[in-house]
Amino acid sequence: MHSVKLPFRKVVRSTALVMTRLRLRECYKWSVESPCLGLQLLSLGQRLKRAVRCIASAPRTCPGETRSPAVLTPPVQQGAKARPLPHAQCAPCQTPPGPRACALFQACSCRPDPGRGFLQPRRSSTRAAVAEECGEEAVCVIMCASVKYNIRGPALIPRMKTKHRIYYITLFSIVLLGLIATGMFQFWPHSIESSSDWSVEKRSIRDVPVVRLPADSPIPERGDLSCRMHTCFDVYRCGFNPKNKIKVYIYSLKKYVDDFGVPVSDTISREYNELLTAISDSDYYTDDINRACLFVPSIDVLNQSPLRIKETAQALAQLSRWDRGTNHLLFNMLPGGPPDYNTALDVPRDRALLAGGGFSTWTYRQGYDVSIPVYSPLSAEVDLPEKGPGPRRYFLLSSQMAVHPEFREELEALQAKHGESVLVLHQCTNLSEGALSVRKRCHKHQVFHYPQVLQEATFCVVLRGARLGQAALSDVLQAGCVPVVIADSYILPFSEVLDWKRASVVVPEEKMADVYKILQSIPQRQIQEMQRQARWFWEAYFQSIKAIALATLQIINDRIYPYAAISYEEWNDPPAVKWSSVSNPLFLPLIPPQSQGFTAIVLTYDRVESLFRVITEVSKVPSLSKLLVVWNNQNKNPPEESLWPKIRVPLKVVRTAENKLSNRFFPYDEIETEAVLAIDDDIIMLTSDELQFGYEVWREFPDRLVGYPGRLHLWDHEMNKWKYESEWTNEVSMVLTGAAFYHKYFNYLYTYKMPGDIKNWVDAHMNCEDIAMNFLVANVTGKAVIKVTPRKKFKCPECTAIDGLSLDQTHMVERSECINKFASVFGTMPLKVVEHRADPVLYKDDFPEKLKSFPNIGSL
Amino acid sequence: MQSWGRKSLWLALSASWLLLVLLGVSPFLRLAAPPRPGLGAPQGWPRWLDAGLLQSFSQPEELLEDVPQLQAARGESCQRGACLDTSKCGSDGLKVFVYPVAGPISETHRKILASVEGSRYHTRSAAEACLLLLLLPGPHERSPVPPQWNGGRNHLVLTLHPAPRPRTFQLAQAMVAEASPTVDTFRPGCDVALPLLPEAHPLRAGAPGQLRQHSPHPRAALLALASERGRWRTADANSSACSWDGRCEQDPGGELSQPTETLPNATFCLIPGHRSDAWRFLQALQAGCIPVLLSPLWELPFSERIDWTKATIIADERQPRQVLAALQEMPLARVLSLRQQTQFLWAAYFSSVEKVIHTMLEILQARILGASAQPWLLWNSPPGALLALPTYSTHPQDFPFYHLQQGSSPEGRFSALIWVEAPGQPPLKLIEAVAASQHCAQILILWSSERPSPPRWPETSVPLTVLEGRRKASDRFFPYSAISTDAILSLDPHSSLSTSEVDFAFGVWQSFPERMVGFVTWSHFWDEARGSWGYTAETANEFSMVLTTAAFYHRYYHTLFTRSLPKALRTLADGSPACVDVLMNFLVAAVTKLPPIKVPQAKRHHEAAPRAPAGPGSGPESQPPARDCVDQLAAEFGHMPLVTSRLRLDPVLFKDPVSVQRKKYRSLEGR
Repeated sequence: MHSVKLPFRKVVRSTALVMTRLRLRECYKWSVESPCLGLQLLSLGQRLKRAVRCIASAPRTCPGETRSPAVLTPPVQQGAKARPLPHAQCAPCQTPPGPRACALFQACSCRPDPGRGFLQPRRSSTRAAVAEECGEEAVCVIMCASVKYNIRGPALIPRMKTKHRIYYITLFSIVLLGLIATGMFQFWPHSIESSSDWSVEKRSIRDVPVVRLPADSPIPERGDLSCRMHTCFDVYRCGFNPKNKIKVYIYSLKKYVDDFGVPVSDTISREYNELLTAISDSDYYTDDINRACLFVPSIDVLNQSPLRIKETAQALAQLSRWDRGTNHLLFNMLPGGPPDYNTALDVPRDRALLAGGGFSTWTYRQGYDVSIPVYSPLSAEVDLPEKGPGPRRYFLLSSQMAVHPEFREELEALQAKHGESVLVLHQCTNLSEGALSVRKRCHKHQVFHYPQVLQEATFCVVLRGARLGQAALSDVLQAGCVPVVIADSYILPFSEVLDWKRASVVVPEEKMADVYKILQSIPQRQIQEMQRQARWFWEAYFQSIKAIALATLQIINDRIYPYAAISYEEWNDPPAVKWSSVSNPLFLPLIPPQSQGFTAIVLTYDRVESLFRVITEVSKVPSLSKLLVVWNNQNKNPPEESLWPKIRVPLKVVRTAENKLSNRFFPYDEIETEAVLAIDDDIIMLTSDELQFGYEVWREFPDRLVGYPGRLHLWDHEMNKWKYESEWTNEVSMVLTGAAFYHKYFNYLYTYKMPGDIKNWVDAHMNCEDIAMNFLVANVTGKAVIKVTPRKKFKCPECTAIDGLSLDQTHMVERSECINKFASVFGTMPLKVVEHRADPVLYKDDFPEKLKSFPNIGSL
Repeated sequence: MQSWGRKSLWLALSASWLLLVLLGVSPFLRLAAPPRPGLGAPQGWPRWLDAGLLQSFSQPEELLEDVPQLQAARGESCQRGACLDTSKCGSDGLKVFVYPVAGPISETHRKILASVEGSRYHTRSAAEACLLLLLLPGPHERSPVPPQWNGGRNHLVLTLHPAPRPRTFQLAQAMVAEASPTVDTFRPGCDVALPLLPEAHPLRAGAPGQLRQHSPHPRAALLALASERGRWRTADANSSACSWDGRCEQDPGGELSQPTETLPNATFCLIPGHRSDAWRFLQALQAGCIPVLLSPLWELPFSERIDWTKATIIADERQPRQVLAALQEMPLARVLSLRQQTQFLWAAYFSSVEKVIHTMLEILQARILGASAQPWLLWNSPPGALLALPTYSTHPQDFPFYHLQQGSSPEGRFSALIWVEAPGQPPLKLIEAVAASQHCAQILILWSSERPSPPRWPETSVPLTVLEGRRKASDRFFPYSAISTDAILSLDPHSSLSTSEVDFAFGVWQSFPERMVGFVTWSHFWDEARGSWGYTAETANEFSMVLTTAAFYHRYYHTLFTRSLPKALRTLADGSPACVDVLMNFLVAAVTKLPPIKVPQAKRHHEAAPRAPAGPGSGPESQPPARDCVDQLAAEFGHMPLVTSRLRLDPVLFKDPVSVQRKKYRSLEGR
C-alpha cells in the first residue's frame, strides 16, 4: 500500500509543480512592471525547492540543498568590472553552482541517474538575461520531477491491486485531463501575445553583443553635399508597396569597442531608445532587412560630443547593408563640437540621409536631409497647459542662459529703451541648489520659474548659441509664445513642410536692434493666430521624441511617394481650422460651355407610360445631350426598343442588379457630360423652358445642387431636434432630387465617399436619398442649394399615390428622422439656409413675353 | 480483462507523460533557438529592462556650456539679410529701378521692361530705389559692370536665357532671377526661379487656361508624353510602362500622334527632368494637363511661394511602374483639385509676361515685408497673391475670397456710401430707408460737389458721417478708413430703394461676398459692325454689369481699385463717370471670373441710368464716349473680363400664388 501511495503523491506533486511553474510565468509577466523581480522569484523558488526536496527523497543528499538559498551575491563577470545589480535578482547560474537561488537546479543534478534524463548539463551564460535563467530553472524542476516519475512509474503498475484499479484509472484520467488543460494554458498565451513579452525581448542593455572594430577598418567618405533623392537614394528598395508606406529597418543594438576594448561611445541614450521604439511601433517598421527601404542604425549619434568620430564612422561602415550609406538615416540633434561647432554631424557618413537639428543653409541638402527640432527634455517634465488668448505681461522675453555678450548688450539696450515690456533673463548665479538652476531664471535678484515664465510673454527670442538649433525653441512653442528666431542661415525644423511664417518671426542678426519695431508692426489678430499656431506645432511635431521621429519618416515617405503626399493644410492647419474649413472640390470659378449640355437620368420602376411622357418632355430641352434610363425593376424587362419614344439624342437603358434608391446616384460610365439632371419618372409638369433655364443656372453654379421643389429644415425647440418642412416658407435649404441638376462628381461622392452607413440606411428605408445628397453636397462645398423658378403644384415624390393626410404625416416624420440621423452621422448640420431662388432676369417684369428668353416659366 | 486494463492504464500513463515531456521541452526549444526574425509577429526594437536607467542625450550642463561664437559672415554669400538690404526700402516697401539697356533689345526684353515699368513698384530714380534690376542680354553679348554694383548688393540680375552666367563680372551677392535654374546653382531664399517663357508670350492678359470642365472627360487620354519636335504623344491608361521616356524596345502601342495639336489633351503630362524640357511645363499648365515631372533637375518657377505639390506631381523617373500605377489609381478628388489648380496658377501668375514679372516683384516685396507678407493661402488659392494685396490685410478673413477655407462667414452689417456729386436736395428718403435696415451699421455721405455740404443732416438711428471727396469720379472707390464694415452699399442720391429691398439684397450678398449684388444692370456686347465692344442699358434677357448707384460689394474692391489698377486706367475712367462703373465691374469680373448678381426691385428707377448725360441709352449723341470706355478698358485689360448672367435672385416666394402675409419681402412684389 505504501509503495503504491508514493507515486500517487508524486504525481500530485508534479502537477503542483507544473502549476507552480505557471505561476512563475505569471511572475515574469508581472515583473515587467515591477522592480522587485528577484524577490518574487525567490519566494517562488523556495516553494519549488521545498517541493523538489520531497521528490528527491533519494538516499543521497544534494550538496546545494542544505545551503541557504536566500544569500544573493552579485556574480563576478570576467573582463568587466564588478557592477552591483540594481535589484535583488536571480543571478545567472554558474559552474560550479554558487550559493544562490539556483540551488534548485542542483536538486535536479542530484537525481539518481543523470545520464538517462532529458536534461543536458547546463552551462552558465553571462549574456542570457536573468529572466531566461530563472525560467529555465523552473522548467528544470519540473523535468526533474517527471524524470523521477518516469523511472519508477513502470515498475509500480504491475503491483497494483485490481480493486484499486478503477480508482487509479479515474485518477489518471483526471490527471490526464489536468495535463491537457495545463497544455492548453501553456500554449494559448504563446499564440496570443507575441513572444516579445517573455522569451526573447526582455533583455538588458548591458548584455548586447560586443563588436570589436579593428583600427584599420574602413571609414566612410564625408557627406556628399550634392546628394539629392534621385542621385543618392536607392528608390528601388522601396519598390513593392501598395500602401505607399516606406519600410524601415532598425539594426539590432551592438556595443562597439576598439582594439583595446574601450567602448566607442555610450551604448544608447534614453531619447534614441525612445526614438527607435517609436519607429518600431509605427506602421513603417519592418523586421525583414531584405524588404526594408530605409535603414536606421542603432548607433546613437544624437549628440556629437561624447562620440569618437572616427570609430563611430567605422562602426557605421561595417553595418551589414551600409553600401556607402545609401538609404541610411541618421538622427542627430546636437551637431558639431568646440571650437567651431559645425552645423551638421561631423561623423563621415557618405550618402546617408541626416535628420539633423541645427542645419544651416551651408550644410543642409535641400530635399535630401531633414531638419528636425532639438528635443527639449522639459517637454516631458513640465506640464504647461495651453494658455488662452489675451494680453500677456511681457511683450518680448529673452530666457536663454548662454547668450553671446554682443547679443546680450543689444537685448539689454532694448530693455533699457522699452522698460517693463521687455524682460531679459539670466542664469541664476546665487542659488544654493545647483541641480535646479535649469528650471530657474533670474533678473536682478528676482527669480523666475522656467519655462512657466515663457507663458507670460507674447514674443520670445530664440538666439543662436554655439549651435544654431536650440532646445529653447521647443520650450517657447510649448508656452504658446511666438518665437523670434535670430539665427542667420538656420534651417527651421521641418521647414520642408511646416510654414514657419505662420508661427514665428525670423529676424536677421544685423537687424536685432529693430526687433521691437518689427514686432510691433504685427497686428494683434495675427499675433494671436501665431500663438495658437506655435502651440499647435509643438503639440504635433515637437512634443515627444515619437512625434519628431514620425514627422521625419513622414517627410521622407512623402518624397518617395509624392503622389500620396500629405498636403500643406494637413501639416499646418490646427485641428480646429481643419474641422471648420471647407475645401470645395470644384473651387475653380469656371462656367462650363453651354455646348456641353447635360445628361438626364430617369430612375424608373415600372411606370412605363409616365416614363415615356417624361422622356418626350425632357427631349425637347435644347441642351439635353443624352438620356439615361435607370431601370430599377429586376422582375420586369424594359419595353422593347421599338416602343420607346423616338428622340433626337442618344437614349440608353441601364438595368440594375437590385432595386435600390442609390442606383440613381451611381456614376455610370455613360454619363459624359458634367451636368446631370436627375428626374423622376413622374415629373411631367416641368416645361422645356424651365429645364433649360435650370441648366443655365447650374452652369453659373456648377458646384451646387440646382433643383425645382425646395424644402427646409428647422430646429424644433420643443422636441430638441431637427424637423423637415415642406410648407410655403420664405427660406430654402434643400432641393428635391426628383428634378435637380448637379455635377456628376457628386455621383461619385455619393457612391464611394458617403460618410457612415447613410447609403445603406437609405437603401434599407427606401427613402431620403435626396436629403442624403443635399447633406453630402452642402458638407463638401459649404454652399447652399439653388432653387429655380416659382413653386408649382408638384405631384411630389413624397406624396405617393394615396394623398392621404395620415400618410403625409408619417412621411414627414420619416423625413425628419432622416435629417436627425444624417446630422448625427455628419457630426454637424451642413445644410445652409437661404432666402433666394433663381429666376430669369425678366421674370414677371413689365416686358413683352415673346421677347423673353424663358417665357414659359411658372405656368401651372 | 486485466491485461486490457493494464494496457489502457499504461497507454494513458505514457500519453500523459508524452504530453508532459512535450510541454516541458517546448520552452527549452524556444530558449535554445536564437530569436529568428520573421517568425510570427515582427520582432520590434526590444523593450530594455533597464531602459529607465539610460542617460539623456544632452545634459543640462551642456546647455550652459553652449558658448556662442559669432561667426564672421561668409563672403560670397547671398543670405536674405546680406544681399537685400531692406533698410534701404523704407516704409513703402519695394522700389525697383531698371538699368537702361544699351543698344537694340529683343522683343522679350522689351516686354519685360514694359512690365516692370507698368508695375506699382517701379521708380525712375536709382537713388530712391532699393532694388536695382539688371537685364542680362543674350548669351553672346557682354554686359558691362553696372555703376552702382557694390558687390551685387540689392541687385537683381534677370535673365530669361537658360545659359551660362556671364563671365564679365562676379554675381557675388546679387540675386538672380533666371528661367528654370538648375537645382544645384539655385540659392533658396535669394534667387528667384522664373518660368521658361516662349518668345511669343503675350505682354498682357494672354490666353486663358484651356480647361473647359472640372473633371476629366471620360474619353480623355490618361497620359501625354513629351515627344520630338515639341509635340505631345497621348497614351492610353492601359499602355504599359514602356511608353516611358522612350526606353522601350518594342512599339509603345496605344499611341495617338496628333501633330497638329501643340497642347495635350490628357489628364497627366509626363515631362522629363532635363532643363531643355522645362518649356513644356507651362504648356501643360495652360492645357490643364497635370504636369508629372520626372526627377526635375531645375527649380520650379516661383517655388518660394507657390506650393507646386497642389498642381503637379514630382515623381522619380526610376520608378515608371509605380508612378503609372499611382496615376491610374489616383483618387478622383485629387485629380480634380490638381487640374483646377493648374488653371488657377496659369491664369494668376503665368499667362502673360506682365504677370510673370509682377509675380517676381511680389515675391521680392514679400521678402521685404517679412511677417506682413501674404500668407500661404493667399498665394495658393484663387484669385492669387497679385490680387490679394498685403497692404490691405494679411488676414484671409478680411478678404471676400477665403471664407469657405477659413470656415468663417461674412460680417452681418454693412455701410451705406452715398456719393453726392451734384448739389441738390439731400436724399432724405433714401437715408431713411437704408438706416431702417437692421443690418446697417453706418451711413457715409461722400460729398463731392463744388458747394459745401449742408451743415445739418437728418437724425438717423445709425451714425452718419460726411466725407469730403476730391471731386473726381474715381473718388467713390477710394478706401476710406471711415468704412468700418466689410460690406458696402454704394448709393446715388437718385436711387430709390426700400428697406426690404436693401435687406434682401444684403442677404444675397452674404451668400456671395466676392461678387457685386446690384439692382440695375447693363450688358456688354460685341458690335460686329464697328468691330468693337459696346454696352447697353436696355432691358435684356441677360446682363454683365451692375450699376454701383445701388449695389452691394466688399470693401476690399475699393483697395484693389485704388492700389492695383494702373494709373492710366483710372485716369481714363475719371474722364467719364459712367466709365468708373464699368471699370469697377471689369475689375470685379477679372478677379472673380464670375458675373455679378441682380436682385429684384419693386419700382423701376426714375431713370434707368441716373447720370443721364453720360450714361448710355439716353441719347445717341452721348454713346460714343461710353462705348469707347468699354472698348478702351478691354484693350487695356488685354481681354474682356465681363461674364454674362441670365438669372436674377428673387425671394423664395416671389410673386408666388400664396397669401402675402406669408411672404417676408412683401414690398418687393410691387404693384
